Amino acid sequence: MDILIGITTKDSVLIATSKSVARGVSVIKTNDDKTRELTDHSLLAFSGESGDTTNFAEYIQANIRLYGTRNGFEMSNKAIASFTRNELASALRSRKPYQVNILIGGYDVKKKKATLNWIDYLAANVELPYAAHGYAQYYVLSLLDRHHDPNMTQEQGLELLKDCIKELRLRMPIDFKGVQVKVVDEAGVRKLPEDF
Amino acid sequence: MAGGAADCQFWETWLNTQCRLHELRNKERISVAAASKILANLTYSYKGAGLSMGTMICGYTKREGPAIFYVDSDGERLQGDLFCVGSGQTFAYGVLDKNYKWELTVEEALDLGKRSILAATHRDAYSGGSVNLYHVTEQGWVYHGNYDVGTELWDAKDREQSFNHIVTSIPS
Amino acid sequence: MEILEAQSTASSQPIEHRFNPYSDNGGTILGIAGEDYALIAGDTRHTTGYSINSRYEPKVFDVGDNLVVSANGFAADGNALVDAIKNRVEWYHHAHNKPLKVQSLARQIQHLLYRKRFFPYYVHTILAGLDDEGKGAIYSYDPVGSYEREQCRAGGAAASLIMPFLDNQVYFKNQFDPATQQYRVRSYLPIDDAIKIVRDAFSSATERHIHVGDGLEVLIVTKAGIEKRYFPLKRD
Repeated sequence: MDILIGITTKDSVLIATSKSVARGVSVIKTNDDKTRELTDHSLLAFSGESGDTTNFAEYIQANIRLYGTRNGFEMSNKAIASFTRNELASALRSRKPYQVNILIGGYDVKKKKATLNWIDYLAANVELPYAAHGYAQYYVLSLLDRHHDPNMTQEQGLELLKDCIKELRLRMPIDFKGVQVKVVDEAGVRKLPEDF
Repeated sequence: MAGGAADCQFWETWLNTQCRLHELRNKERISVAAASKILANLTYSYKGAGLSMGTMICGYTKREGPAIFYVDSDGERLQGDLFCVGSGQTFAYGVLDKNYKWELTVEEALDLGKRSILAATHRDAYSGGSVNLYHVTEQGWVYHGNYDVGTELWDAKDREQSFNHIVTSIPS
Repeated sequence: MEILEAQSTASSQPIEHRFNPYSDNGGTILGIAGEDYALIAGDTRHTTGYSINSRYEPKVFDVGDNLVVSANGFAADGNALVDAIKNRVEWYHHAHNKPLKVQSLARQIQHLLYRKRFFPYYVHTILAGLDDEGKGAIYSYDPVGSYEREQCRAGGAAASLIMPFLDNQVYFKNQFDPATQQYRVRSYLPIDDAIKIVRDAFSSATERHIHVGDGLEVLIVTKAGIEKRYFPLKRD
């Protein structure tokens, strides 16, 4: 199971995704990017059934971008999450549902507020201060329950994220080849150069 | 103990009898290694029958010092200085690994143990109710009380400013 | 021979038959311990599926030595267990020539249940008696012998309906008084209050659970002996 972790700080969202892709007994990629940028200030991270994941993510990405160019302004992060949820809910009631779990990190430039939405393949959507998907949940949620502070700085957030990764490296039975971390804040979305 | 309630209760009272018999026969307390091996041999003899147990045997002897043995119904037996067992183990590990160090005082260790179980009761549906604390010394075990999770969680939230996903009022 | 072959080719799919040694006979039981008494109450309806087999089939038993037992769930296993318990009590007398204490029978019952760990008695068991200090004692068990001494316990079909009610009315759980800002403290219930709670619990369970009803039989243990009381319940 892939790792998705999201942490909001006072003025940013941190999204960490595992870099490995495994098929059967083989690891076939060690620098995978399990995220797509939806707008300048919105990032979608995904995990789940192979094939479904990238297809669904890019479908959402295309629609959100289309909305932006058509209307001359971007969708709010709440609307993006609701739209994504709605697409999953429709798919769920179709002949072939998308089996994709999602985190959406967003930063509202006007409200100066970072948001994180947790959405699973059954189309449950919750806004949370921190969230995770898959087996990673079982290790990091208790840690985040204990140490997360909504007013923490981006640097403190990164330290907390590092603690989470440290725990996963220690306790997870498989090597997930480290994580890629992206930040969403006032300046937009960027990938951190650090090797996590 | 974690897993089948009857399996754990029955075989651990049985283990207690075996330890008492050892004491009577040898005029000496059983070692933690030997006690845990009695249970591990038992669970291994039942392997495949469907017992469900995850246990820790904790003790302090002159010979061994402080010792913890993990014993489960697969027949596995491991020595170590940090274990979490049960359906909520991962949540407990999360808090424990971050804050554990060998130099912990007894009071700090008791607090950390309690906080780790609290973390597990919060996130794992099958864990909950209250937390029991024991301190095992060379002289024997000391009971450090029963703590109701219902009050303990709000205490921790207030004290640590933690559990920030819990909202206590309707967000505007 | 040819006929048999014709039949077997006609139904090409082989059908697997498996004997199921268990069934569920409904009913519910409840035990409460007080300062100087302990009681077990049980409804007297006996069912299989949607059918009522009997409106008066007692399932709370006096097993001797001022001890009361009920094993609710699969009635055949329940009766077998109660018989085994009665037998244990009798043979304890032959061996030791003294009354069996409640904590001793409690441990005996664990062993009787765990002996069948891999083919369990399909029952929820409750034992009632008086302890060494003369205080009421209730012991409750899962099907394979995990047990605990408690002040009260509901078992059987409507346990999930009755137990939260008991938590509130016997343990006074969640009874917060805004005037004093205090939670109500736990104390022993007088026998009359306990009987009222038992009757309310069963009439409510009868209302909402189809496998509960007809009659309520209560066995009360005091130092004077065992008193049996019967109250009618709705028979629909």
